[in-house]
Amino acid sequence: MLGFVSTSPPPATPEGAGVPGPGPGPGEQGGIPDSGLPGPFPVGEYARALRTKLRSLARVQLVGELVNLRPSRARVYFELRDAAGAIPCAAWLGDWEAILARCGTRSPEGMQVVVAGGCDYYPGSATSSPGFSFAVSDLRVAGEGDLLARIERLRKQLDAEGLLERQKLLERLLLPRTIGIITAEGGKAGDDIRAALARRGWAGRLVWGFAPVQDRHAAPAIVRALSDLAGVARVQVVIVARGGGSLTDLMCFCDETLCRTVALLGVPVIASVGHHTDRTLLDDVAAVSCSTPTHAAEAAVGVDCTRARAEQLAAAARLRELGRRAVLSRARGLALLSRAPAAQLERQRARLHQELREIRAAGRRRRDSERRLTAQRALVLRRKADSSILDCRRRRPRDLEQLALALSAHDPQRTLERGYVLVESPQGEPLLSAARAREADEVGLRFAQDTVPAKIIHR
Amino acid sequence: MSAEEPLTYEAAAARVEEIIRRLDSGEASLSETLDLVREGKVLIEQCARELSAVGDALEELRLDELVSRLEAEASA
Repeated sequence: MLGFVSTSPPPATPEGAGVPGPGPGPGEQGGIPDSGLPGPFPVGEYARALRTKLRSLARVQLVGELVNLRPSRARVYFELRDAAGAIPCAAWLGDWEAILARCGTRSPEGMQVVVAGGCDYYPGSATSSPGFSFAVSDLRVAGEGDLLARIERLRKQLDAEGLLERQKLLERLLLPRTIGIITAEGGKAGDDIRAALARRGWAGRLVWGFAPVQDRHAAPAIVRALSDLAGVARVQVVIVARGGGSLTDLMCFCDETLCRTVALLGVPVIASVGHHTDRTLLDDVAAVSCSTPTHAAEAAVGVDCTRARAEQLAAAARLRELGRRAVLSRARGLALLSRAPAAQLERQRARLHQELREIRAAGRRRRDSERRLTAQRALVLRRKADSSILDCRRRRPRDLEQLALALSAHDPQRTLERGYVLVESPQGEPLLSAARAREADEVGLRFAQDTVPAKIIHR
Repeated sequence: MSAEEPLTYEAAAARVEEIIRRLDSGEASLSETLDLVREGKVLIEQCARELSAVGDALEELRLDELVSRLEAEASA
């Protein structure tokens, strides 16, 4: 079909091979003596002629399984495969996004597709490699590819056997001392795990089980590493890590033996395979599935050791404080109880003192009050006495005089002086009736000046 | 897990938190308080040992070398 790669007799010039001429003369560069083949032609010129030739081939539709999808900055590369062979394909990124939007699919990887396009060839340059591809201008999803169908069948089978749950039932230590890691040697995933563990302050034992993570040797090597890590290295958790890749790249993590080994392993396995959009069977059977190696490391060591150390110190201090406080509070309670009788006595004493002070104060107030009252009374008495004395001094002589006058008015002498006679017994007692005078034989007749004896004559 | 086996780190840490909650509640008697404090100290020491075991220095081994060494020891 292509003359320049056929086994038919070679053309004598580049034109004969469909390559435009003239190029540098064969004689200028010096060909292989006795070769008999035309040339040598400058390779770039030949490459461009090859591209022209390939582009001139008829545009067709191809059907096959889309695998190994690899987007780049400007183009998307993938392969179309079937049982008999494969063709590398490429599409411009803008065209590819339009195709996906039209198909209503996020990624057709693993699916059976029909592509439309034609052969193309990138001739390369002094600094870039050439490449053949089938330039895809359109695509239709024709159904589930064998690859995806096979994976799905295996997933259902493992699920039916209960193997998707076994790992999830294993106890995972929050703080393992030994961690096994299966990844590609020198890969970025290992660095990410190491950095994440360092950020957690974890510095235990890491056992690296380096294994290929991409080709047909990967799954058996990973199975062997898993068994050795669990059996020989006695790790407490295993991380299986790999960066992103196409479904084909990640196919080893859908290997049945690998999945069964993980499911039956007595050590928890944390899977971190591909990007967060990728889902392998290992993700399903593992105890934990993480989107990045960093997350896998954080899942393996559930404790931020640096913070946990600080928290332990704080907890220890808190315990000490709580214990001390419990004892102290009760000691204070006991001390209070022991001081209660003395306190009661002191309270009673204080009360008595207070009452005594109040009684004394009341006494003083009463005494002062009485003293003031007495003074007032004394003053009144003194004033009254003074007044009485004054009255006496003024009134008594007059009263005496009046009394003397009244008395003298009653004095019998004065009556006698007016010519009356008082009849007296010989003993000097006045005889106030005639009868008593008759009874007495002798009487005295008392005149004002003198008393004259007399005899009573009875007739 | 038998009674003789030490608690795991997470179980010990959880028990310490439980002890502190109980003590914080102020409902524990003096005797219980002293018992809890004693238990908490033991658990914290255990947690500290666990943290110390993964905090001193990172040790990195290669599985293939480890397997070869063990096989050599076994054959010798």
